[in-house]
Amino acid sequence: MKWSIAWEYREALLNGLMLTLQISAVSIVASTIIGMVVACVASLPGFFARRIASAYVEMLRNIPVVVKIFFFYFAVGLDAIPAAMLGLTLHQSAYIADVLASGFRALPREQFEAAYAVGHSELQSFVHILLPQVFRIVMPPMITQYIEVVKNSAIAMMIGIEELTFQTQQIEAETFRGFEAASIATIAYIVIALVIAGSMGALANRLKAGIT
Amino acid sequence: MTTMRPAEWPLPAKERIWRLSLFSLACGAAWMTRDLRWDVVWTTAPALLQGLGISFLLAVTSVAAGMIAGMILAVARTSGPFGLRHLAIGYIEIVRAVPQLMVIFWIFFTWPAVTGRGMSPWSAAFLSLTVIAAAYLAEVIRAGIESVPPIQKESAFVLGLSPFQAFMRVVLPQALRNMLPALIATFVMMFKVTSLVYVVGIVDFFRAVVIINNREFAPYALYTTLAVVYFACCWALSWLIRKLDPNYALTS
Repeated sequence: MKWSIAWEYREALLNGLMLTLQISAVSIVASTIIGMVVACVASLPGFFARRIASAYVEMLRNIPVVVKIFFFYFAVGLDAIPAAMLGLTLHQSAYIADVLASGFRALPREQFEAAYAVGHSELQSFVHILLPQVFRIVMPPMITQYIEVVKNSAIAMMIGIEELTFQTQQIEAETFRGFEAASIATIAYIVIALVIAGSMGALANRLKAGIT
Repeated sequence: MTTMRPAEWPLPAKERIWRLSLFSLACGAAWMTRDLRWDVVWTTAPALLQGLGISFLLAVTSVAAGMIAGMILAVARTSGPFGLRHLAIGYIEIVRAVPQLMVIFWIFFTWPAVTGRGMSPWSAAFLSLTVIAAAYLAEVIRAGIESVPPIQKESAFVLGLSPFQAFMRVVLPQALRNMLPALIATFVMMFKVTSLVYVVGIVDFFRAVVIINNREFAPYALYTTLAVVYFACCWALSWLIRKLDPNYALTS
């Protein structure tokens, strides 16, 4: 064991970590927005709206994320980072749409009607009454989805993005100290997962406190 | 267990319109992309099919092995003694929190570097996929075991079955029935994860496409085929889930 390798390569590891966090953050925000739109379409009353939403979900969910990233990078010809972000976003938006749609289904219809009757506009009742409750219901599966984005961002190394997993492979190739580098990266990923779970859990508790 | 439902026939009008429009959309897409080099896909079809077979083989073997390991982990997590229970929880949570690529790297690059003994790409791929599958399947099996009411186990004890018999003959069959949709979903997930063994150099379906594209350079045709075939395989399997459990999908 030679843990000083971590100090010698601190810059590479930190840059990799930053890139992982950037890609993940953009993909998390974008996939939540897209997932929300698709889930809203899925909850519309019409037959075709529901079918279009489910076609979107099925199509994106059944293709591995690495295939999407390679498609955008090699076939469409985007730059590496946008291709990775787009692939991750589209992939996870399908899962998030499914989670949110089941959250909307779990909510009693009277909630919307009551909010509307009290004098909120449609948008207001959606934003102030429905969304907080839906987010409370879907928080546990959403934590899983967000951690999944961070995990999948490691795949970006396959198109040459120098994120955390890529840096560990670099260190392994340069110094044969793969064990130390891989341990550090593994711990970093676990810490990121714990931070996501902890902060989302705290947010869920605040939402709960705000409602009751 | 929910039974297979026969489709209503003739289909409702809206359903027919929807299927017709999807079909014409697909035909339109095929017509607009007729100038792409689809002949490459046709001439390299044997290599692609072989890759697809390898992907399936890896998914099936790793899920089968992961099933056994996952069952041990699930039992250890639900009813193991103090230390063993925490080891199982630690294994499951760490493998599920870390990127799958990282698991593959641990087994293929890091482990041989530490122990000094190399590992063939095949055994590394099989082992890492099994490690991943075991962690996910352990949770599936645990949920299945917990879905069986405890009275079933108690009744089995009263009838004189040993704990092992009660688990194997009473709890497990019911648990398996309850977790069948989640089991298929895990298989679909593992089939998608097999595309990551690309990094250890096995020519699975994904790598076969990448290699052929490097030689022929027909990215649109090849990568579209890749996506369509993966979609068809996974969708056929998840169709089975929707038949077994109508509440599983968004459309229900």
